[in-house]
Amino acid sequence: MSFWFWHGLKKGVRSTHYPRKFESAAGVSPGRPVATEFDSATEAVLAAANCPVDAIVARGSAAEVKLERCIYCQHCHYGNPHLLEWNSDYEWTMAALGPGKYQPLPGAYHRSLHVMVVDAGDCGACLHEVKQLNNPLYNMHRLGIFLTATPRFADVLLVVGPVSENMRVPLLKTYEAMPTPKRILAVGACAINGGVFGRAFMSAGGAASVLPVDLLVPGDPPPPLAILHALLAVTGRKNPVAQMASLEGNS
Amino acid sequence: MPAMGASPLMPFQRIELDGVAAAVQEQFGSGISLERGSRGVVLAIHLKEPNVLADLSKALFWDVGCSFGGLIVEEHADRWRLCYLFLARGSGWVEVVLEVPATVQAVPSISAGVHAADWFEREAEDLFGLRFEGHPRLGDFILHDQIWPEGVAPHRKPQRKSVNVHQMQFRRRPNPDWRPLLVVQDPGSFAMPVGPVYEGGIGESLHFMLETVGEDVLRAVPRLFYKFRAVEKIAEGQGVSDVLLLAERFAATSSFAHSLAFSLAVERICSLEVPKRATNLRVLLAELERLRHHAGAITGICESTALAVAASQAAIIEEELLRASCKFAGHRYLFGLNTPGGLRRDFVSRDFETLIGAVDRAIEDLRELEDRLHFTSSFLDRLEDVGVVDPSKARDLNLVGPVGRASGRGHDLRRECPYGGYDSYTFETPREAEGDGYARLRVLFQEAYASAGLIHQSIERMEPGPVVALCESFIPGAALGWAEAPIGAALHWIRLDESGIVERYRAITPSFNNWLGFHAAVEDFAFQDFPIILATFGLSATECDR
Amino acid sequence: MIDAWIGGALALFFILCACGLVLSAATRGVYSLRAFVVFSAACSILMMFSSAVALASGHSFAIDLWRLNGWGRLSIRLDMLSAIFLFAAGLVYLPASLFVRNLVEVRFRGRYPTRRYGVLHFALMASVVLILVASDAPLFLISWECMSLLCYFLVNYEQSARMDVRAGYIMLVMSEAGFLAVVVAFLILGRGTPDWSFSSLAGMAEHLSGGAVWGVFLLGFLGFGVKAGLVPVNFWLPRCYTAAPAVFVPVLAGVTLNLGFYGILRLDAQLMSNHSLGTGLFALITGSITALVGILYATTENDLKKMLAHSSIENAGIIVAAVGASLVFHASGYAVAAAIALTAALYHMVNHSVYKTLLFQGVGEVEAATRTREMDRLGGLARLLPGLSVVFLVGCLSISAIPPFNGFVSEWLTLQSLLRSAVLLSSAVKILFALCGACLALTAALAVTCFVKVYAMSFLGIRRGDWRKVPGKAGRTQFPLAYLAVACLLLGILPTYVIPVLNRAVEPLAGASAAASLVPPFFTATPENQQLPPAFVNDFHNLGAQTGRHVLPGRGLVVMVRGSEKNPVVFAMSTSYSFVALAIFLFVTWFIATRSSRQRSVTRHELWAGGIPRLLPEMTYTATGFSNPVRVVFQAIFRPNIVEDSRETVAVHFRTAILRRRDETHLVDRLLLHPVGEAVGWLARLLAEMHHGRLNAYVTYTLAFLLIILVLFRLS
Ligand code: SF4
Repeated sequence: MSFWFWHGLKKGVRSTHYPRKFESAAGVSPGRPVATEFDSATEAVLAAANCPVDAIVARGSAAEVKLERCIYCQHCHYGNPHLLEWNSDYEWTMAALGPGKYQPLPGAYHRSLHVMVVDAGDCGACLHEVKQLNNPLYNMHRLGIFLTATPRFADVLLVVGPVSENMRVPLLKTYEAMPTPKRILAVGACAINGGVFGRAFMSAGGAASVLPVDLLVPGDPPPPLAILHALLAVTGRKNPVAQMASLEGNS
Repeated sequence: MPAMGASPLMPFQRIELDGVAAAVQEQFGSGISLERGSRGVVLAIHLKEPNVLADLSKALFWDVGCSFGGLIVEEHADRWRLCYLFLARGSGWVEVVLEVPATVQAVPSISAGVHAADWFEREAEDLFGLRFEGHPRLGDFILHDQIWPEGVAPHRKPQRKSVNVHQMQFRRRPNPDWRPLLVVQDPGSFAMPVGPVYEGGIGESLHFMLETVGEDVLRAVPRLFYKFRAVEKIAEGQGVSDVLLLAERFAATSSFAHSLAFSLAVERICSLEVPKRATNLRVLLAELERLRHHAGAITGICESTALAVAASQAAIIEEELLRASCKFAGHRYLFGLNTPGGLRRDFVSRDFETLIGAVDRAIEDLRELEDRLHFTSSFLDRLEDVGVVDPSKARDLNLVGPVGRASGRGHDLRRECPYGGYDSYTFETPREAEGDGYARLRVLFQEAYASAGLIHQSIERMEPGPVVALCESFIPGAALGWAEAPIGAALHWIRLDESGIVERYRAITPSFNNWLGFHAAVEDFAFQDFPIILATFGLSATECDR
Repeated sequence: MIDAWIGGALALFFILCACGLVLSAATRGVYSLRAFVVFSAACSILMMFSSAVALASGHSFAIDLWRLNGWGRLSIRLDMLSAIFLFAAGLVYLPASLFVRNLVEVRFRGRYPTRRYGVLHFALMASVVLILVASDAPLFLISWECMSLLCYFLVNYEQSARMDVRAGYIMLVMSEAGFLAVVVAFLILGRGTPDWSFSSLAGMAEHLSGGAVWGVFLLGFLGFGVKAGLVPVNFWLPRCYTAAPAVFVPVLAGVTLNLGFYGILRLDAQLMSNHSLGTGLFALITGSITALVGILYATTENDLKKMLAHSSIENAGIIVAAVGASLVFHASGYAVAAAIALTAALYHMVNHSVYKTLLFQGVGEVEAATRTREMDRLGGLARLLPGLSVVFLVGCLSISAIPPFNGFVSEWLTLQSLLRSAVLLSSAVKILFALCGACLALTAALAVTCFVKVYAMSFLGIRRGDWRKVPGKAGRTQFPLAYLAVACLLLGILPTYVIPVLNRAVEPLAGASAAASLVPPFFTATPENQQLPPAFVNDFHNLGAQTGRHVLPGRGLVVMVRGSEKNPVVFAMSTSYSFVALAIFLFVTWFIATRSSRQRSVTRHELWAGGIPRLLPEMTYTATGFSNPVRVVFQAIFRPNIVEDSRETVAVHFRTAILRRRDETHLVDRLLLHPVGEAVGWLARLLAEMHHGRLNAYVTYTLAFLLIILVLFRLS
C-alpha cells in the first residue's frame, strides 16, 4: 500500500491558500450578479423583469441585486439584451438579522469548529459543494473545521435544502440534540427561502421558517469557498457581508 | 426470461415494433386497440377494459422483452389516465394506456408480473389515492405513516399546491403507533436504523432499516422520500420556463440530463427543430456532466473503502472538472444552459480548447488512478463479489444505468432509443456480467472514457450556426422526452394546455428505478459492506424523491 | 482453647442445623420461613466463624468420632484447606439464606412449600460441612453421596410444568458415575491400608506405581470434575443450573461447585504428592479447554441463567488450569511457583463463589421482576431496578476481571503463574504453557465481551420484550446483594491481606510459602530488617510502596511475583493503591466538572438516533446480534445449523417473512454424548438381536459361556 502514500506525496500540496490569500483559480466560483448602472430607468426595469425570482430590483437607472434570492438561472448573465455585470468573488455570507447583528462564536472555537450537515431536501448541489470542502484542494481541516456525524459534538448546524415536510422532524431533532452555543447556517437559495420550490405544500420554504438561522450563504449552489467563508464567519475569523448593496458601493 | 448461456452478455438485439404489435394483437386482440404513437411514443396500446392490463404488461416485459419505463398517472375531470411506458429496444417507447372513469377508485396492479412497477404503483397510491388491486404492500411510501394520516392524496387536482402541510390540519406529533414492517423472524433479529440524518459525515437524507441478526444484512429496504418536495405538483400551473428551472434543480448532480429530457419533451410538443450546433453542444455538455458525475462516484467508492489517497486524487479530478465546467459554461453544475429549442448561449472555440485540455487531463488522471486501483488488493477485496446483483435479477428489477450495465444489461437510451443526435456518434457502452461492486467500478471508468471520446467527437464536428430555435406557439398536448442521465434513463413527460401552462408534469428518474433494486445487492452481505455497496450504486436520493 | 472454640462452633453448627431442619419441617407459613432464615443465617455465620478461627490461629482442629469395624475410625479434622473452603461456603450461604426469604416473598408466595425446602436445605448444609471436615475416606464418601442426592432433590424441587425433569436426572446419573470413579480411586489408593484415614492414605500413595498414580489421578480428577464442571463431564451443568430453582442456583454455583475443587485438591494434590509432570499438564490442558469452551458458549448464550452456568464452567476451567500449573511446578521442583499458582487457584475459587452468587441472585431478581431471562427480550432494567443494576454491574466487572474488583487479582495471578513457565526446562512443556496461557487470555477477553453484552443487553438500552415489571418490595433484596458486592470490592482491593490467609492452606500442599514472594513486607521492611535486598526495597520505597504504613497493619499493599537475583521483580501491581488513585482521580474530575464552571447548565435530550421520529425497541441491538461476531468467528466450534425459509405474497419480490431457525449442539454433546449414546444404542440393538426367544439359542449361549470359562480357568 506504500505506493499510495508515495503517489500522494508526489502530487505535492494542492490546497488553496484561502483565507490567507485570495484564491483566483478559474472556475472556483460562478461569481455573482452585481448592481449595474443602466442608461435609463426603463432598461433597469427590463433587466429586473428578466429575473424569474425577483432578485433584481430596479432603483432609478440602477438594477440592484438581492443575492439571497438569486437561483443562478443565468438569465441576467447571457442570452438576453439587458444583462447585469458579474464579478467573480465568493465572499458573500450574510447575517440573517442584518448588518452587525451576528454574534460570532467565542475564540475557543477558532481552531475547532464541528459542523453538522443536514440535508433537508436539497438538490444535491449544495451538499456536494459542502463535500468538496473535504477535498484536498480546499481541505478545511487545515483551518480547524471538521464535519461531524452526530449533533452531540456539533457547534454549527449547516442546513441545505428548502426543508421538506418529511425532513422537518429530523431537522428539528438535530437542532435540539446540539449543545449550546450553536449557530445555524442556511446554505443555498433553497435553504434561505425555498428557492425554486418556494413555500409549497411539501416545502417549508427555507430553514429560517423552521429554525433561528444566523448566517445565510446565497448561491445555487454557493461554491465551496463561499461556504468556507461562512464557516470562518461563524467564529468571527471573517465578517459576514453586512449588506449586499453597501459592498457594491465600495467596489 | 432470456436464457443466459456461456456468455451472459447478450448482443444488442433490436425489438421490432411490428413484432410487438403482432404479439399483443394475437394474445389480447379483442381487448386492445393499437395506435401509432406520436411525440416520443412509437406505439400506443389502448386498453378497452382494465382486466387485461396485468397480463399484457407481463407479456410485454417477459415475452416480448421490453423493459419497463414507468407509470404516468393523470387526473382529468372525468377520468383517470394511466400510461405504462415500455421500451422496445431499438424501436422506441411503447405506451399502454388505461383510461377509467374518475369514479373508479381501484385499478389492477401489474407488480406481481412486472416487479419493477412496484414502487410506481405505491407512489401513485400515496399521491393520488388510487388503489392497485393485488398489490400486497401499499401505503407508508412517500407520505410516511409516522407523520401523515391516511387518505390525503396530495396530488389530486383539488389539493392546492401552495398550502403547506402545516396549514392543513395534520397531526404534528409523530404517530406513536407506527411500527416498521419487519420481515425477518428470528428471536434475535432486529432492524438497524440508518439515517435519515446521515451518520457517516455528509450524505443525503435517506433511511434504511437493515434487518439482521448481527453481521449479515438479511433484508434492507430503503425508506426514501424524506426529501420529497412534490416537484410534479409545484410544476402544475406554471409556465414552461419556470418548470424548466425546477427540472434543472431537483437533482443537480445530473441537472443537464434532466433539463435536456425536459427540453426535448417541450420541443416535441412545439415541433421545434433544434439547430445542429445546439445538438452537438448538448451532447458535449451532457457527456461533460456524465464525466464529472462518474468522477464523483469513483471518489465515493474510494472513500467508502477508506482508501484515503485514492479518494483524494479522485476528488481532485472531480473538482477540476467542476471548475472546468464553470469556466466553460459559467456554472459548476451547468445550470441555466438548456432551453426548449436549444441552448441559451453559445461558446467560442477558445472555450472548447480549454475544456478539451481539462477533460484530457482528467482522463489521464483517471487512467492513472484506475491502474493503481487495479493493483490495490485491499481495495479490490472489498469490492469483488460484494453487492452482487446477477443479470437475471437485474432484469427482473429493471436496473438501469451503469448499475444495470454492470449486471449485464445493455440498457442505454443513447443507443437503445437514440435522442438528441446520439445516433450519429460512435461510442462504446461498457457492459460487465459479474454484477458486483468491482464490475460497477469498471463500468464507471469505461463510461468516463467513452464520455471523453464523445466530447472530442462533438467538438470536432462543431459547425457554426445558431444555438437556439425559438418557440412560437404551443400546441396543447403531451409529450415524452428522455435522456440517459449519468445514473441511467431519465424520462420527463409533460402535458401543456394551449397557453403553454403545464397541466401535468411527470419526471421518472433512474434513481427511483435503481433504489427499488438496491436491496437485492445488500441482502446477505455483511454490515461493513453496506456503505461500499451504497457507494458503488452511486444513487441519488434527491433524484428519486423529487 | 482454640480447639474448644472451633469444636464448640462446629458442634453448635450441627445442633442449629438439626434444629433448623426440625423447625422448618414442623412449622408452617411465615414462621417456617422465619425459622429457616434465622437458623440458616446462624449456621452460615458459624461456618465462617469456625473456619476464621482456624485460619487466624493456623491451628488445625481434629477429633475422632467413632470406630467402624475393619474400616478404621470416622474422624473429622478442620485443616487449613478445609477451613478455606468452609469459609467460602459460609460466605455464600449467608446471602443465599437471606435471599430465599426475598424470593419466596416476592415470587413464590403461596405456591412454594418452604417446609420441604428447609429440610433439604439444612441437610445439604450439614453434608457439605461434613465433606469439608471429614478426614477419612468413608465419612467423606458417605457425606459426598448424601450431598449428591440432596442436590438432585433440590434441583428438582420446583415441580412446575416448564421444568426439565431430565436435567436433574442427568445430573444424578453423572454425579453417581463421578462418585463411583472416586470410590474406585480411593480403593486403588488404599489397597492394603490399615485404616482409611486421609493421613494413612497419603502414606500409601508413596508406594503406588506410575500406572496406578495415573489411574487414581484420572479417576479422581474426572470423578470430582463432574461436580466442578470440567470438560468433558460437564454437560449436565448448564441444563441443571437452568432447571434449578432460583433460590438454589447460588448454592449450586457457590458451594457445591467448589466441592469438586476440594476433592481434586484433597485427592490429587494432597494425598498424592508424588504425582508426575504429566498429570499436572493434563489438568492444565483440561482446565484451559474447559475455560475456553465455557466462555464461548457463555458469550453466545442468551438465557441469563444458562449464560451464567456456562460462565461457571469457564471459571472452573481457570481454577483447574491454575491447579494444573501448580502441580507441574511442584513436580518439577519449583515450590514457590507451585505455591503461587495454587494461591491463584484458591483465590479465584473464593472470588468465583462470591461474584457468581451475586450474579445468580441478581438474575433471580430479574426473573422475579420480569418473568423472563431472555436477554433478547430484556433491556432497560437499569431504570426499573436501579439498586440491582449497580450491584449487578459490580458482579459483571468482577467476573470480567476489571480492576479494582476481585476477579482481576486472581486472573492476574493465574496468568502470572503461567508466565513463570520460563523457569521450566523442557521446551515442550513451555510451549504447552504458552498455548494454555493464550487460551486463558482469549478466555479473559471473551469474558469481557460476554459480560458487556449481559449488562448492556439486560440493564441498558430500552425494553425489548412485552413484559411488565412485577410489583414487589425492592428494598429487601438489597442487603445480600450489597453484601456480596462489598465482598467483591474488598477481595479486590485488599489482596495483600487475603493472600497470607490462603497461604496457610497452600504452604503445606506446595511446600513453600507464596506469601513470602507475593506480598513483600514493605510496611515492616527497613534497611535493618534484612528480609529483602536493600536496593530493591529502596526502589519500591521511592515508588511509594510504604504509603499507609502507619495506618494499616500488615506487610504491605503491593502484590508482586518475585524472580531470581538477576531479575528481582517479574511483575508487580497494587489494586489497593490504584483503587485509591482511581477514587481520587474520579473525585477530582467530578469536583472540577461540577464546581469549576459557574454557568454550567445541564440539558437533557432524547437519545440521538439519526433523526428518526422515535427509536423503537425493535431497532436496538439484540443480544443475539451483539454476540454474532463471536458466533461467526468460532463457527468451526459451534457448527450451527441454520434453516432459512421465506414466505411471500404474490411473487418472490414481495417477501412477507424470512424465517430463520438456528440450532446448535453443544461441542461436548456432539463429540462425546451423542457418539456414546449411539454406541450404547448399537450395543443394545446387538443384544436385542441375540434375544430371539428360542430356547435352543439360549441353551447354546449358556453352553458357549461355560466352555469359555472352563478354558480360561484351565489356562490360568
Ligand atoms: S441569475 Fe440570479 S439575479 Fe440573475 S436573473 Fe437569475 S436569479 Fe435573477
